[in-house]
Amino acid sequence: MKKRDSILMMIMIPFLTIAFFVNGIQVLADDEVPYVTYNFDYWEDIVYTPAAYLPDSNLSGAVIGTTNFSSPQDLCVTEDGILYIVDTGNNRIVVCNFYSGTFHFVREITGFDHNGSKDTFNGPSGICISQNERIYIADTNNKRVVALEMDGTLYQIIENPQSESFSDDFEFKPTKVTVDYADRAYVIAAGVFEGIMCFDANGEFTGYSGTINVHITPIEKIWRKFSTKAQRARQTLFIPTEFTGVDIDQKGFIYATNIDSEGTQSVRRLNPRGEDVIKKGDGVKISGDKFFIPVGDYGGASHIVDVVYREHGIYSCIDSTRGRIFTYDHEGNLLYIFGGLGSQSGTFKTPVAIESYDDKILALDAQRGEVLCFKSTEYGQLINDAVSLRYDGDEKQAVEVWKKVLNLNANFELAYVGIGKAYLSSGDNKTAMKYLKLGMDREYYSIAYKRYRNEWLKEHLNMILTAGIVIIGGSVIFNKVRKHRKGDKKYE
Amino acid sequence: MNKKKIKYLFHVVSHPFDGFYEVRHREQGSVLLALILILLFGLSFSLNRQYAGFVVNDINPRTVNTVTEVIAIFAFVLLFSTANWSITCLMEGEGRFKDILTITGYSMTPMVLTFLPATLISQFIASGEEAFYYLLLFVSIGWFVILLLIGVMTIHNFTIGKTMITLCLTCVSMLVIIFLLSLLLSLVQQVYLFLESIYTEILFRI
Repeated sequence: MKKRDSILMMIMIPFLTIAFFVNGIQVLADDEVPYVTYNFDYWEDIVYTPAAYLPDSNLSGAVIGTTNFSSPQDLCVTEDGILYIVDTGNNRIVVCNFYSGTFHFVREITGFDHNGSKDTFNGPSGICISQNERIYIADTNNKRVVALEMDGTLYQIIENPQSESFSDDFEFKPTKVTVDYADRAYVIAAGVFEGIMCFDANGEFTGYSGTINVHITPIEKIWRKFSTKAQRARQTLFIPTEFTGVDIDQKGFIYATNIDSEGTQSVRRLNPRGEDVIKKGDGVKISGDKFFIPVGDYGGASHIVDVVYREHGIYSCIDSTRGRIFTYDHEGNLLYIFGGLGSQSGTFKTPVAIESYDDKILALDAQRGEVLCFKSTEYGQLINDAVSLRYDGDEKQAVEVWKKVLNLNANFELAYVGIGKAYLSSGDNKTAMKYLKLGMDREYYSIAYKRYRNEWLKEHLNMILTAGIVIIGGSVIFNKVRKHRKGDKKYE
Repeated sequence: MNKKKIKYLFHVVSHPFDGFYEVRHREQGSVLLALILILLFGLSFSLNRQYAGFVVNDINPRTVNTVTEVIAIFAFVLLFSTANWSITCLMEGEGRFKDILTITGYSMTPMVLTFLPATLISQFIASGEEAFYYLLLFVSIGWFVILLLIGVMTIHNFTIGKTMITLCLTCVSMLVIIFLLSLLLSLVQQVYLFLESIYTEILFRI
């Protein structure tokens, strides 16, 4: 019997090898990806994953048949796929059309009719298309925000904001702009540390939103106490960081990025009162890379420069230190990471802005003067779908998608949590416990465990009570018998 | 080490003043037993790190290494005993090195006895009930500290104040020992490298 088995194996091995090689030829996504794709697990260790997004196409001035971009700083995509690129160096806005997978040049905006005379831009660096179909342009060196109608006529100019809080030599230099459903403009301006400047529909300055508090460590406080006035004057000032990029969701919540040199929180979600209401776990970092080498050109915390709110609570932000794009869900869980610096196609030199359209992510590279377009893979699409389903409250349907995600990446903790929560709500506590433990979700594991324990106790209560009575009764009787015997002996 | 000494261990843990006095003056302690207790503590400590229930265990299992942990605990005990011995020698302590090692090992008994049951209990704990588990651990660690304090006090025949001072000085001398060890290590390394380069030089010239 044994011999026959081994002969069978001998015959099988070549076939198995061939089968393996034939299967091995199938194209793996990683073969053509010019960057590493990874994620962080519960312990903040790096876990390599399949690529969620792959480089798709590039858009440069030459590709669409116009002069090349010179240090473009921002881009914006409307819902019907029209792309607006701020070509800062050439003082113009380039409008492209995006259909059937390629880009087509539509027009360029170089100026507008300002009360009868022609006016132009000077180093514009931010753009936003409002929900009411108007183009808002942060015209940085002209110190104003220009709002145009779609046909290019002037709608409004926001300039020279007035407030008692400004110092006398204050200069309004807007760099990024976004507009909510009520035509209120939110402007990031250079040299303004108090937060994002808010303007009402008439262009009047109303106040700041999302002030970042300065964090001073106790050691720094003590150090300052001991230093002299002259020393203190030469020390670095404790000023909050500036915001770098801004976006807005349909409900009017502002997503804003800032630079955090410690790598704790670089993305904020501001409510209408200007408070940060981003959702994240206790001690969870939303600042790109959770693990990095502290020094060197390629080291240091991620330098998050822009954010885009996509849909169903998903937002992506882009890091200029290592050229990576980080995507989070509405609870602050990292979904996937892709992108990198380099000179290959599909990599960045100086990424500055990010936008999304359909299943694509568009990122603008200032140094290359190119828009890089990334298309989702099956893996990325499945995660997007599952997160969207969960965001909409359809956890049961999400389970099927999460299972497909796990087939592609068995290390994706969020998928286990998703499945575990669905089992928990359907009442299968034991399976829920297994999945929630794999997903490292202590809170929900504990809930599942409590329910499971109660169930178990209910089921086995009879047995436990019987066993208890038997043991107690038995020991009482045993003691009595022993005493009785001892008594007998004494008596004898 | 015989049965009597193992039995006496529990007397020491429950009557530390009396017990440690007997250990010092009537040879009731056993160094071997103390070493076994240290080993058991190392094992139960490591087991606790690895197998404590999911709800209370926030240790990355990739960082748990039983061998290193046991060796580290032994090294630490040795360091403490040496440092304490060298300090108490100068401060007219009556304890011998053997006694210091013995009381350190004996003091670990409560931890040896509670870490395993605590690990077991932690398996049946949900969030909100962690207090039971942590209470158990805190009590055993607190007991260990008290036993160690009384032990040092008794075997050296010190007052409580003097014990505190010697313990502080012990910490300082532990640091000094570590410093000297690392100095020695780097010196030995340099000498070794020097000899090695001479050897290679000779090898190339001949």
